[in-house]
Amino acid sequence: MRIPDRTRRAARAAVVASAAVLLAASCSGKGGDGAADQEVVLEGVDDGTTLTMWTRAATEAQSQALVDAYNASHENQIELSVIPTDDYQTRVGTAAGNQELPDLFALDVVFAPNFTTAGAYLDITDRIAALDFADALAPSHLDVGTVDDRQYLVPHTLDLSVLFYNKALYEQAGLDPEAPPTTLAEFAEHARAVDALGGDVNGTFFGGNCGGCFVFTWWPTIWASGAEALNEDGTESLLDSPEAAELFATYRGLVEDEVVAPGHNEETGATWTGHFPEGNIGVMPMPSTMLGLMPEDLDIGVAPIPGIDGGESTFVGGDSIGISANSEHPNQAWDFLRWSLEEEQQVEILAANGDVMARTDLADNEYYAANSNAVVMNDLVQVGRTPYSLNFGQTFNDPQGPGLALVREMIYGDAGADLAALNEGVTASLSS
Amino acid sequence: MRYSRKLAGAAYAAPVALFVLVFFVAPLLLVGRMSASDWPLLAGDMGLNLPENYQGIGDNPLFWPAVGFTLKYTGIVVVLLIGLSLLLALIVADRRRGTGFFRTAYFLPTTLGLASASLLFFGFYSPAIGPLDPVMEFLGLEPVSWLGTPTAALWSTVVLIVWKFAGFFMIILLVGLQSIPPDVYEAARLDGAGRWQAFAHITVPLLRPALGLVLILSVTGSLLAFDQFFILTKGGPDNSTVTVVQLIYREAFQRFDLGAAAAISVVVLAALLVLNIAQFRALRKDH
Amino acid sequence: MRTKLWSTSYHVLAGGLSVLFLFPLIWTGYASVAPHGATNQQDGYGFGNYAALLDYDAGLLRYLWNSTYVSVLTVAFTLVLSVLGGYAFARFTFKGRDALFLITLAILMVPYSTLLIPLYSMLGDMGLRGTLVGLALVLTLYQLPFAVFMMRISFEAVPKEIEESAMCDGAGTFGVLTRIMLFAVWPGLITVGLFSFLAAWNDFIAPLILVSEADKAVLPVAIANLRQQSMGAVDFGATQAGVVVMALPCLVLFALLQRHYVRGFMSGAIKG
Repeated sequence: MRIPDRTRRAARAAVVASAAVLLAASCSGKGGDGAADQEVVLEGVDDGTTLTMWTRAATEAQSQALVDAYNASHENQIELSVIPTDDYQTRVGTAAGNQELPDLFALDVVFAPNFTTAGAYLDITDRIAALDFADALAPSHLDVGTVDDRQYLVPHTLDLSVLFYNKALYEQAGLDPEAPPTTLAEFAEHARAVDALGGDVNGTFFGGNCGGCFVFTWWPTIWASGAEALNEDGTESLLDSPEAAELFATYRGLVEDEVVAPGHNEETGATWTGHFPEGNIGVMPMPSTMLGLMPEDLDIGVAPIPGIDGGESTFVGGDSIGISANSEHPNQAWDFLRWSLEEEQQVEILAANGDVMARTDLADNEYYAANSNAVVMNDLVQVGRTPYSLNFGQTFNDPQGPGLALVREMIYGDAGADLAALNEGVTASLSS
Repeated sequence: MRYSRKLAGAAYAAPVALFVLVFFVAPLLLVGRMSASDWPLLAGDMGLNLPENYQGIGDNPLFWPAVGFTLKYTGIVVVLLIGLSLLLALIVADRRRGTGFFRTAYFLPTTLGLASASLLFFGFYSPAIGPLDPVMEFLGLEPVSWLGTPTAALWSTVVLIVWKFAGFFMIILLVGLQSIPPDVYEAARLDGAGRWQAFAHITVPLLRPALGLVLILSVTGSLLAFDQFFILTKGGPDNSTVTVVQLIYREAFQRFDLGAAAAISVVVLAALLVLNIAQFRALRKDH
Repeated sequence: MRTKLWSTSYHVLAGGLSVLFLFPLIWTGYASVAPHGATNQQDGYGFGNYAALLDYDAGLLRYLWNSTYVSVLTVAFTLVLSVLGGYAFARFTFKGRDALFLITLAILMVPYSTLLIPLYSMLGDMGLRGTLVGLALVLTLYQLPFAVFMMRISFEAVPKEIEESAMCDGAGTFGVLTRIMLFAVWPGLITVGLFSFLAAWNDFIAPLILVSEADKAVLPVAIANLRQQSMGAVDFGATQAGVVVMALPCLVLFALLQRHYVRGFMSGAIKG
């Protein structure tokens, strides 16, 4: 009789252990999908609702400042979750597929079309139309957030590509520190002049293995020259234009003459903005949000990215924001969005911090009066562009996409590469 | 007696069985269904489309180069990693002066996560902030572009992985070494066996189970390599370091196509199962 | 003379290897306090990057606590499952034994990102999504192949005679396990516990996908947030300080456990 007894004891022990492991797993789940068909209150509702909001780490500072100020002055309370930038798509995509999105979520604007067309965002066309400053909202962000004349997104935090140049190095190289380049040729000339200083100093830098960097920093030159990079629907690549060829040839020349700081070839984007603040780079295009991260003792200037024969443009990046389609509190969520775009918040929170505002009508404020670099950036919002394509990310940002391959072939490949053929590869990816 | 012992064995295995069923088999069935369906990441299940996702694998121009690269990488890593970790385990196995320090030194990299170790090496190899260029200069050598060419990128990543995991495998082999009774060596020495003979005829055979674990972990881990390449090279330069799991990630989160990602996963799982059953059989043969 | 030569070459080899293993870590420690542009330590040497980490969002202590909680829970789940499972695989024959062992190993063979999406929706059905317990269960899943295999070979290495003599003394299989076998497989147990702690402590993808509330964030996710600047750029000051902060508790743990890897401990326990 002893043996079965033992067996039973063993069985009991095992069952107890498994029960302990699975105990938590037996808790009941809670469900309930968002019912966004509530009555629309155009000005929003502030009734003490708790809202959830997600943003990516890259634009956290601005989101956090807005949320803190909102929570301090409203009944509604927002719980902000910050998600690492590189993994934002993974996180938000997983949640979207399960209808588990937060009430509000911001999104890198180039990926917006994927989410708007998939129905992840709530239609807020009427709410935007009711704003008395609707015409002043960053136009390129609004365009990208529009599908079939219905609007889903408003601009949240803006990040523009602009030229940064080191005034001390300009002076040493005999250049006028108050005269940044106004053409692509001048840009190359300035970079070469600074590079001639020798030692640790280099003329310029770029992320040579970073598709997103090329789009962000080089396309403005094409736009400023009056050409296009994509067709209007974002289904066809126009990177075989003479303007694009000139752009590639200029940078190829800088690489061949070793004017670009070492490491550009393998730079995947993780350190591409880290070189300039060290003070050894003459002039390079970078995100406007880097302005606040510059060492105080570095005397820098900011200028628009020029075209081939003048003109100026920028890539209006950053985040757009909208209300998720599964939110149960669309009126309360809209209350935050409307409030965040009002003059007081735009000026006292964003402009005061040296950031670019989501509106183009407020540049005349006390903070910008003392910050000429910020004015340069804010004025660019009006002329800047945000490209639209459903396959943008997988074509240009994806390291295995054909966009990066095209640029690398033009810069590092054998001379005389077939730009037209490479461009067709990009079009194939955009239109698939 | 036999019957009740069988019952007891099943009872001890029950918690693992239940856990694996709930948290592994059930999600895996869902992966199987995804692979047979049109399943966009953002929209969810759109219905069966078999065998479209599987046909798509062959049409992907990156697939076969990625398989080739992954196999090459795995071969290099497994050989270097097992050789080095066995050496380390032998170095620290005996109680003598300094072994405590050596054991800690070799183990230290294991305490880092793979992602942070990869970032550490990303800085380490960077010409802007890394210490290698000054070292090369000091030695009178030309600076090297550690991640700039396909060959350099591969070997730089191999160095990172060997550095990061050698201590981990060292510990497994150490536990294996410790379970060999000292009197076996004693007997061999009395029979006049030298150091190398003892190593070849006692250590290696008795270490077989631990070596088997190390082999399976390193082969499977290397074939599923992702983080290190995602952080160090992003598959570059010029798609020379794209692994199979990077393709899965790309399908799911760049192209938003869970169905296609799941199909590649299923194919990879099937291949790994066949491989590991073979490894397992080979290891258990003379047991 | 021969012994001396052997001893010298041993120390040269062992010492040289330890320099190679330590160099990247020493460099990261140095770089975390050295000045760099676009970090929180721009002028001179100092702890600016650590100060930024300490103050970040919910505060370092909160993240340390969350990470510790999840890691300890994972270790507990893993040890219970792998001891029972390893014992079963090593000492018993039962129906489906090989199949179960293979399925457990197969967990290793499915890429993380593939399985996390189904797990995400499943945990939602169980009401465990967004909880640290749910996270610990998923982390346990990925520890099982190694842990069960390790415990299996540890149990197999214990001489059968010890167990049989205990059986003759009237102990049941569970008594043998708790009173004798657990002491015999001590190094394996320490190894499994240590590595499941390290894996849970360092894991980034599972908490990223499964937990979204800010006050439940774990340390690796908080550090990833802190190091990422705009347009894919990385703050290397925060990265290196993060590496150091993440590694320190693991190091202390290893230092505390390392005497258990010394020969003699285990055989002594069996004989005694």
